[in-house]
Amino acid sequence: MITTENLCKRYGKTDAVRDLNLDVRAGTVFGFVGENGAGKTTTLSILATLMLPTSGRAFVGAAEVTTDPAAVRRMIGYMPDVFGVYDDLSVREYLAFYGTAYGVTAALIEQRTKELLNMVSLEEKADDYVNALSRGMQQRLGLARCLMHDPPVLILDEPASGLDPRSRIEMREIIKGLRQRGKTVLISSHILPELADMCDEIGVIKRGALVACASVEVVTARANGHRQICVEVLAGGLAMADTLARHHFVSEVLTCDETRVDLLFAGTERDQAELILDLAAAGYQLKTFREVGGNLEDLFLHLTSEEQAAEQTASALAGSAAGQMA
Amino acid sequence: MLVDAIRHRLGWWMDNPLLRKELRQRMRSGRTVLALSLYLFIIGAVAFVFMYVNVQGQTLLLQPTRTADLFTFLSYLQLAMISFVTPGIASGVISGERERQTLTVLLTTPLSPASIIFTKFVTSISFLLLLIVMTLPLYSIVFLFGGVVPSQVLAVFGLQIVTLGAIASVSIFWSTWLRRTGWSTVFSYATVGAFFLGLAVAGYLSDNIANHSPDQGVWGMVSGICYSLNPIYMQASLEASLGFASPVFHQSIVSSVFSVVQSHDLSSTESWLSFLYLYLGGSALLLVSCIWRLRPGTFTVLRKRLARWILR
Repeated sequence: MITTENLCKRYGKTDAVRDLNLDVRAGTVFGFVGENGAGKTTTLSILATLMLPTSGRAFVGAAEVTTDPAAVRRMIGYMPDVFGVYDDLSVREYLAFYGTAYGVTAALIEQRTKELLNMVSLEEKADDYVNALSRGMQQRLGLARCLMHDPPVLILDEPASGLDPRSRIEMREIIKGLRQRGKTVLISSHILPELADMCDEIGVIKRGALVACASVEVVTARANGHRQICVEVLAGGLAMADTLARHHFVSEVLTCDETRVDLLFAGTERDQAELILDLAAAGYQLKTFREVGGNLEDLFLHLTSEEQAAEQTASALAGSAAGQMA
Repeated sequence: MLVDAIRHRLGWWMDNPLLRKELRQRMRSGRTVLALSLYLFIIGAVAFVFMYVNVQGQTLLLQPTRTADLFTFLSYLQLAMISFVTPGIASGVISGERERQTLTVLLTTPLSPASIIFTKFVTSISFLLLLIVMTLPLYSIVFLFGGVVPSQVLAVFGLQIVTLGAIASVSIFWSTWLRRTGWSTVFSYATVGAFFLGLAVAGYLSDNIANHSPDQGVWGMVSGICYSLNPIYMQASLEASLGFASPVFHQSIVSSVFSVVQSHDLSSTESWLSFLYLYLGGSALLLVSCIWRLRPGTFTVLRKRLARWILR
């Protein structure tokens, strides 16, 4: 339903999006994860016809965003990460304005206004001015606005950003409801756990490139069996990393230097205790051995780009070996 | 087929959601009511004082020529109001949407950039048009005493509407091209100032140079162009051609404007054509550039559609 082919967007010498290939199937909720500045908003803006790509193509349905933007606009409901509302308009008038802009008939506007306000729990606010609503209510109204013309595709850029925990949960429930309605949803966030709950697939974007893409089941299954451990030693961290990399329950060494090694551990607590004993027996002077709350997206990134991480660790180890020989 | 297309377009304009929203929002604002009341009060007070001073409280003394003076005075007051108020209203129409972060969502609707810009243009001038229409009953006082006929009033109003449209276009241009309403307002007032005052000063200086230069013809032409592009002088030209030049304005700025109009023959066809070309053509060009700027790729899509249509 949403496809991009080698999509690129360049601002001067900076690549905001690099050769992005995305394929979001119809009826799925696709989570687009990446830290701030990774290129999420740029990608979504291109898909929403707000921006032209430097090269590559992007499609919503069969319509290409650069050659048939009018068709794309009719197919999508777009909610930017930050958006304003008009003063001196009631909630009902606000929705009616966008409904009319999309050519929805007056009778249908009335019917949908009722349905959507009910869906986002704003039916009691129908005659209030939109600028008098709280941020969370405005976000929910924004989502209702996206649905006024009943588009098959929704593009939501960090819909829960800036909301309090309660509003975030409400927003999440509403988006889950959209899946039941058969909508294709492309939703961005920089918080993976938030998306894991409501998405079918997740793609991770880093420095403008899609570095990982998998179904939520794969992500959670792979992430759940692992814990991120930080081991600090007085010296010999690089050599210890080499030992750890060969250990049965260490699935991956994430980072290492002379005093600290971060790793993914797949064993139980008993296995963990045995590992500490093994390291001590091998002569490493352990300072700390602790589980760190690495975020899910970092973990996901490492799990889905093992080759890259392995290359990095190998080069770090090779560098240290060369240094020792010298 | 063409008639159907026109009817469809007209129907769309009548039902234009952005136009309805903008008008609804503007008329709901308390400032609108205040501005309308204040303007009516000021114009009414000015008209009353002007008449009272001229007739010394004896209404029967009011002569038709004096009512023509009143009309000229009011029309200049209205021109000043247009030049002051229009940039204030129009210079934030697009940049304001950008600052309120409502433009992004508006641009993802099927409303075309052209319809957005033209709707903003119409709503910007509609408030000023309302002010002008509201003062018509005050102008009708001059009809009571003779001296001015409705066609003359309409001619002057027509000129003011062209000027109003041009100022609105300039302000929308800055509002679209500059990101901040503050800067847009500054540039809009600067542009209006350049046309109203800058051209008057340039014309005056050119006249002075012409008087002391062997190249009188060239400098005389330069000053003529400067004056013919200035709405103040062109309004005087129109009023002079309608027979409004009046002795009451001797020794005043207005009388000097009228004398410049006569000395430079600003009622000529050439002067009027250059004024209309610049104000109507310039406005159209500015608005087209705004359409191009508002959403990237607008003209790329149009070009591709045109190519497809030609190939078909």
